[in-house]
Amino acid sequence: MKLQTKFTLAILVIFAVVAVLMAALTVYEVNTLVIGLAENRVKIYMRAAWEIMDAKIARTRSALEILAQDRPVVDVLAYGGVPDRLRPFLESVRRDQKMDVLNVLSPDGKVMLRTRAPYNTGDDLTSDPLVRQVLATKQPAAGYIVMEQERLDVEGSELVERTLAVGGEPRGMFAGVAVPVLENGKLVGIIEMGGLINGATEKVDAIRDAVFANEIYNGKPVGTATIFLDDLRISTNVLDQSGRRAVGTHASKEVADIVLGQGVPWTGPASVVGTPYLAQYDPIRDPDGKIIGMLYVGELEQKYSDLLRRTLFLNLAVILAGMTLAFLAIYFLVRGIVRPIHALSEATHQLAAGDLSHRVDIQRSDEIGDLAQDFDRMGERLQTQRDELENDKQQLTTLSEQLQTTNRNYIEMLGFVTHELKNPLTSAIMGLYTVKDGYLGELNAAQKKSLESVAKSLDYFQDMVRNYLDLSRLEQGQLVAKKRHIDLQTAVVEPALDALDRQIQDRRMTVENRIPQGLKVEADPTLLRIVYDDLLSNAVKYGREGAGILLEAQESDDTLTLSVRNEGEGIPPDKKGQLFQRFSRLDTTPAASGKKGTGLGLFICKEIVEKHGGQIWADSKVGEWAKFSFTLPNGVAHNG
Amino acid sequence: MSKRQRILVVDDDVQVVDTVETLLQSVGYETIHAYRTEAGMDLARQNKPDLMLLDVMFSGPPGPDGFETSRLVQSDPELKGIPIIMLSGVKTVMGLHYDFSPDDTWLPIKAFLEKPLRPDKLLREIEKVLGPREKATA
Repeated sequence: MKLQTKFTLAILVIFAVVAVLMAALTVYEVNTLVIGLAENRVKIYMRAAWEIMDAKIARTRSALEILAQDRPVVDVLAYGGVPDRLRPFLESVRRDQKMDVLNVLSPDGKVMLRTRAPYNTGDDLTSDPLVRQVLATKQPAAGYIVMEQERLDVEGSELVERTLAVGGEPRGMFAGVAVPVLENGKLVGIIEMGGLINGATEKVDAIRDAVFANEIYNGKPVGTATIFLDDLRISTNVLDQSGRRAVGTHASKEVADIVLGQGVPWTGPASVVGTPYLAQYDPIRDPDGKIIGMLYVGELEQKYSDLLRRTLFLNLAVILAGMTLAFLAIYFLVRGIVRPIHALSEATHQLAAGDLSHRVDIQRSDEIGDLAQDFDRMGERLQTQRDELENDKQQLTTLSEQLQTTNRNYIEMLGFVTHELKNPLTSAIMGLYTVKDGYLGELNAAQKKSLESVAKSLDYFQDMVRNYLDLSRLEQGQLVAKKRHIDLQTAVVEPALDALDRQIQDRRMTVENRIPQGLKVEADPTLLRIVYDDLLSNAVKYGREGAGILLEAQESDDTLTLSVRNEGEGIPPDKKGQLFQRFSRLDTTPAASGKKGTGLGLFICKEIVEKHGGQIWADSKVGEWAKFSFTLPNGVAHNG
Repeated sequence: MSKRQRILVVDDDVQVVDTVETLLQSVGYETIHAYRTEAGMDLARQNKPDLMLLDVMFSGPPGPDGFETSRLVQSDPELKGIPIIMLSGVKTVMGLHYDFSPDDTWLPIKAFLEKPLRPDKLLREIEKVLGPREKATA
């Protein structure tokens, strides 16, 4: 079923190509879409994260502003009281606020009071950007700053330990606020409050909770947030292998270079402690604008890559299913067409091979059905025609056989009849001549003439019988040339002349026999005799009375040419061609009409001569002579 | 007065026998005849003809043909020596061809004559064998 295979392959290929294209397109689109969406989303998450970060700071600021207006605090700062008296109060405020630092500074930036052991005082904090800003603007300042070891030491060794525990370095990021204390518009002091981010979890968890609702996916948090001091993770809810917060690890160089180095956010897929997250990193700047770290927000990629995969899978599955269905549908459709075509092809093959009874018998209402119907009809017709032809052929064969039988019967009958005629003919001729020649008594002239006439008729009759007998034998194939080595004169010519002796004498003709004595030929004497009988009898019949008949023999190489020539009217040129045909007559001229021939003689002569491998022909000069010549092949030997 | 020469004619055709006898008798021969070989041979033994005219082929009931007959004659002491002239109705005798030179086998056969016979021819051949004929005398 080559057609089916072709179609199936073609369809398969087409579908495969389309499927692949569609799949590729789907994958690409879904990927792009999902990633695009994800990246957009992450940007939004970052904004939310910042909101939360800012809100935290804002709350701290509010608290501090209220504190900055607290009477006792203002009085101490403005009218010189003992700051230590504030300490318990302020420390409790600090603890309530869950802050790490709450310092009271003099208007020149020196620390007057700390609320954390060892309660150091007297150091200069004018290098602190927050403090600096307040001093400069007499406005509150909020933000993130880096605290080096020196500062941390002063604030409290605890803090140093914390930073060390987090990152191994005594550096920390501090989220804080500094507010001026004003009395009558005059700066009387600064209060600074804030917390060390290193190791803290509040902010990042708040971000996570607010933005990602603390969703867990496959045992992993969907959302994560990290605060980096430079590239060091100091506060994060990213978990490491053992499930602990992965503080103290570093961000990737690639990200750090861009965010810290160029100060621009970075969005993209990031492997966070080995897990892929879709992340955004924003730079964190201190109040001076210096980049001191990064804020990271990330969404578990897996959730979305899973979704992606699922979507993709679903899409592809749908495509595949659709394609398969379509393929099957088309396959069966095609098969429905190919099958009948195949059947027709098979049937045609059978028909061509000769089996005309083969029918397809397909019932359909479409063109194929029509084709099948026509095919069957054609088969019917061919079969009928063939049967008819067979019939005709048989009839023809029968007819032919009948004809042949008829012909054969006719020939046989001819032979039989003529054979049978010979006997009465013999007696008749003999009897007639006995009387005519006077053996039974003298005849008077009239009697003689009458009997002459009868004799002529009988002679003619005899000729005819002989010729038809020969013809019948010729037609039956009985005249077979059995060649023998014979003496032409004694075996053939002399007996032939002898038989015609009577007629020759009657017509007073002279025979000149120039055939060499002892001339031997390879021929059938009986058949050759027939030839000579006929040629001589013609010569006598058509020759002039009293004229001569010439018999000759000429040798050349391997051919012997024999001829019989008579003097007479000759043969008209237009008759020459017909001479040797069956039933030809030369009786159209008045002189010739008195003479009768059977018309067969020369035809038989030709047959006989040709059976010997020779040729026969006639030459003539009209009004003077006619000469019949024939050739015999083979060597001729003289018997000298 | 010489004895009249006697000729036996054997042929299965009655007309032929009749015609030949008429001719022979008209010139003075004595004739006897038979229509079958056997009868002819018996007749020959009884009457000792001077010559036999035999038909070569018999279209009648199966019997020896002319050649067979001539052999019979040759081998029969009573018939030996009687000359035979064969009469033939067909040019080809059962496929056999013949030439005209008699040899030992054909000893009795002196001539083959074809039918239809011309009276003068027949008489000439008979004279060749028997010698010039005696004219019929009263």
